[in-house]
Amino acid sequence: MERIAVEPRDDWRETAEAHGFRFHTIDNEPYWDESACYRFTLRQVEDDIEDPSGEIEQLCFEVVQRAIADESVLMRLGIPEPFWDFIAHSWNDQHKNLYGRMDFAYDGTGPAKLFEYNADTPTSLYETGVFQWVWLEQALERGLIPEDSDQFNSLHEAMTGAFGAMGIRGTMHFACCKDSDEDEGTVEYIADCARQAGIESRLIYIEDMGVDAEGRFTDLQDDVIVDLFKLYPWEWIMTDEFGKNVPTGGARFIEPAWKAVLSNKGLLPLLWEMFEGHPNLLPAWFDGDPAAASLDGDYVRKPLLSREGANVEIFQGGERTISVAGDYGAEGHIIQAFHPLPEFGGNYPMIGSWLVASQPCGIGIREDKSMVTGNNARFVPHIIVD
Amino acid sequence: MGTGLLLVAACDEAKVDTALFESVKQCTGLGFTAQECETNYKAAQSTHINAAPKYTKREECEADFGAEKCEVAPQRTAGGGSIFMPLMAGYMMGSLLGGGRRGIAQPLYKSANDRSTFRTADNKNVGKTVGRTQVAKSATRAPTAKTRTVSRGGFGAGARSPMRRSFGG
Repeated sequence: MERIAVEPRDDWRETAEAHGFRFHTIDNEPYWDESACYRFTLRQVEDDIEDPSGEIEQLCFEVVQRAIADESVLMRLGIPEPFWDFIAHSWNDQHKNLYGRMDFAYDGTGPAKLFEYNADTPTSLYETGVFQWVWLEQALERGLIPEDSDQFNSLHEAMTGAFGAMGIRGTMHFACCKDSDEDEGTVEYIADCARQAGIESRLIYIEDMGVDAEGRFTDLQDDVIVDLFKLYPWEWIMTDEFGKNVPTGGARFIEPAWKAVLSNKGLLPLLWEMFEGHPNLLPAWFDGDPAAASLDGDYVRKPLLSREGANVEIFQGGERTISVAGDYGAEGHIIQAFHPLPEFGGNYPMIGSWLVASQPCGIGIREDKSMVTGNNARFVPHIIVD
Repeated sequence: MGTGLLLVAACDEAKVDTALFESVKQCTGLGFTAQECETNYKAAQSTHINAAPKYTKREECEADFGAEKCEVAPQRTAGGGSIFMPLMAGYMMGSLLGGGRRGIAQPLYKSANDRSTFRTADNKNVGKTVGRTQVAKSATRAPTAKTRTVSRGGFGAGARSPMRRSFGG
């Protein structure tokens, strides 16, 4: 694995715009960055990222099994009690999951280490599955990268295939929040994947959703919402006013409710408790567990529900060396062994390994100048060359 | 959005074989068995209850579907008031014997300003032909259920944070 400089396509901005990739630059800062790419060998990708991702997904299923059989687990994750049965039903009735992104630290050698699993509302999907692939094809055509370059990326085909297998007969709704270009672009892309699978798709802002007299969810045309993709975290759904309608409202959610167990950072100590010593897992405990003392003061403290690095704190030798602002943390924390992201010339890449319908199908790399991958991270493409 | 090279717009939509009727009698008269005409009619009628457009005022329903063309729906508003919906003007067959299509039977409607065209509950034009015909595949999908929204805005509280650019992660 190495980071190599690449000449950016001179027309990449126009290409991005033409593809509907509107959030390539965010708040005047570049988000899509093709001035470099990461180069892997096929063995690195297959053995060190793809296979472990599939394996960890199976371990995660065991955690869900345990959580629905043991309410104390759901309690430790801070999941509100009115949703326990609903989560169990969504699992027992095999409500299908669509996608997720596991974040790994990896430097080309040794086992990749799972930092966290964004199992509910992962973003950077479009840039990974489509724009990264367009870059590969054009960079090959223009001789900007080695001529035998490949990419670990069947994300787009996997998304379309997964929608085709969902058995949706009527209209499916796709919801995100107002005022985020990034989320809107992601949801529009996902709805497009569904359309390609033959599903009638309709977009709605989550703020515009309504309920009828029977407690069913409705759209702005007063149509009942039956199948809902939501780019909106389960923990917010559960605490919002309409959350109380979810267990009885009759809508099928994607991601399904059982994903609330996996998108919680409490997954990490649960995985460690059940599979201690697994080469791809970092030691982790719930905050306050005396066993965390074995880390000798080198650890990361993360809120159970934090996203994009918010409220993450790094301790080295017992001293807090990095602390990120944010408004998470009231829900509790976990402690995870400190494992620095590898550094490539002042850049810290995090490897996002995508799973669609639980099958590993591609990677996207986000790079930050800080060791905590946050909102300012840039997306950098990758190639496989043997 | 136009997501470009990899995404293909569904412009030339596939057509599928079906048949449209105003009544069971018309259906049997055009050579279908009494059993398949009845089964499809009953299925369409039960879909009609959920899928027909809903109104809280009879005048509004009649403005869209014509005088005397609306009925009281079995549903009620939250306050116990009446809900109105258009009468079924016909039905579209689901599976056709020998036709190979495995779809669901659909209720059909006619609007006040166009009494000759059949429309699905999702307001898709399926033509004027009584009997065997072809319609766009999308028009044969299960129609959405129509209702009256009694409350909106109960989702989204979690997103009211000014510092966030994305609610995913």
